[in-house]
Amino acid sequence: MARNEELYNAVAAGKRRDVQRIVQECLDREGDALELLNESMIPAMQEVGEKFSRGEAFIPEMLVAARAMQAGVNLIEPILVKSGHKATGKVCIGAVKGDLHDIGKNLVAIMLRSAGYEVIDLGTDCDVDKFREAVEKQGAQAVLASALLSTTMSYMEKLVEGFRDRPDIPVIIGGAPVTEEFAEQIGAAGYGKDAGAAVHAVRRLVPASA
Amino acid sequence: MRLKLLSCEVFHREMCAVAARSPNTVDMKFLPKGLHDRGGAVMRHVLQECIDEAEPEPAEAVVLGYGLCNNSLAGLRAAGKPLVVPRAHDCLAILMGGREQFSRYFEKNPGTYFLSSGWLERGRTASQPASAGGSATRGAFGMSWEQLVEQYGEENAAYLVEQERESTAHYDRVAFFRMGVDPDDRFEEEARGVAEEKGWLFTLLPGNLRLLQALVDGDWPDEDFLTVPPEHEIGLTYDDRIIRAVPPSG
Repeated sequence: MARNEELYNAVAAGKRRDVQRIVQECLDREGDALELLNESMIPAMQEVGEKFSRGEAFIPEMLVAARAMQAGVNLIEPILVKSGHKATGKVCIGAVKGDLHDIGKNLVAIMLRSAGYEVIDLGTDCDVDKFREAVEKQGAQAVLASALLSTTMSYMEKLVEGFRDRPDIPVIIGGAPVTEEFAEQIGAAGYGKDAGAAVHAVRRLVPASA
Repeated sequence: MRLKLLSCEVFHREMCAVAARSPNTVDMKFLPKGLHDRGGAVMRHVLQECIDEAEPEPAEAVVLGYGLCNNSLAGLRAAGKPLVVPRAHDCLAILMGGREQFSRYFEKNPGTYFLSSGWLERGRTASQPASAGGSATRGAFGMSWEQLVEQYGEENAAYLVEQERESTAHYDRVAFFRMGVDPDDRFEEEARGVAEEKGWLFTLLPGNLRLLQALVDGDWPDEDFLTVPPEHEIGLTYDDRIIRAVPPSG
């Protein structure tokens, strides 16, 4: 089966009810829901992400598309779990200490979940200890940190420092004021200039679970 | 000395006050606060055009009434005149009179929603927790409720308004900058009203015109201001100095 155009368009346009209906119809006739996810929903969300990168779509488009996507994923998830489908990997995500903004972070979390990752959302105002706990107690394989303010961005350096003894755990950073140059300067393993790029960075840095 | 000032309109009252007191002749141009909402690339492009347009004018230097504003200034190029920029992340640090003062306050009070006369008078966008109408008709993300419904449908529109409301849920106080240039307490009262409506604390902050005055007076110590030589660009330092001048990237 190739792409389901109706589903693809429904995700891209943020038509949550249509997404639920199409996915449910597929499940009812015992169709391949995983294929719907991989061939139609994820590519649709990727396209919205790419449009966002090019300045052709904005935060509201991303939010409604992600929400529609999530509604479909919620229906598919129990089936995947039942069939023993494993998450691609496990990561934790949070806005750094002092930063209380989370729309961007939430978008990245939804994009990652839709790409098959298990995401531990640590919320906002996260210090190094909070991220370390997610790694050590919950088994996160990567740390994703966001900052929306250039004043809170400097904490990312402390975060990278705090994982210096864990070279196996990549620290990936992003957020409006964060640049690739800054990521390199503080020694972060990865940088996502937007939600789509963050997913790419995770794909590159987190080895897929066997 | 004659200066060309390019400033965000959130500083309108403050800039007029400091320019009036300046020994220099200050040619002022104010740009819409909305530029900030359209992202760094748009803001940089518009500012660059203004800098280039000022080239034939008689001013000896171009001074910017802007903070770094989410890296929007990064890559801006001085034309034939020096370009002078306050070392500040945003307008809040400028209104407070310095980045250290602002950092100290912000660290202790991260849930602060800052307001000044300029923000209330000129900076209003739908993304602010303003008292504009009942919640049923409130817009979000710079769009009216009607625009949201037209573009995304009613159910999504409601979701977007809710998302934006949640994005301000962490605020616990309104801090109003008392800059000493207001006609009366109308802006302070308006800010107080925002706090009351939201159920947040209300604090007054003593604003400080020091940086703005120094900017138009031509008093530009390296500690507080970056002077970008002609044909150089604004680069980022990622440290306490915030910005630096770099040779043109070509």
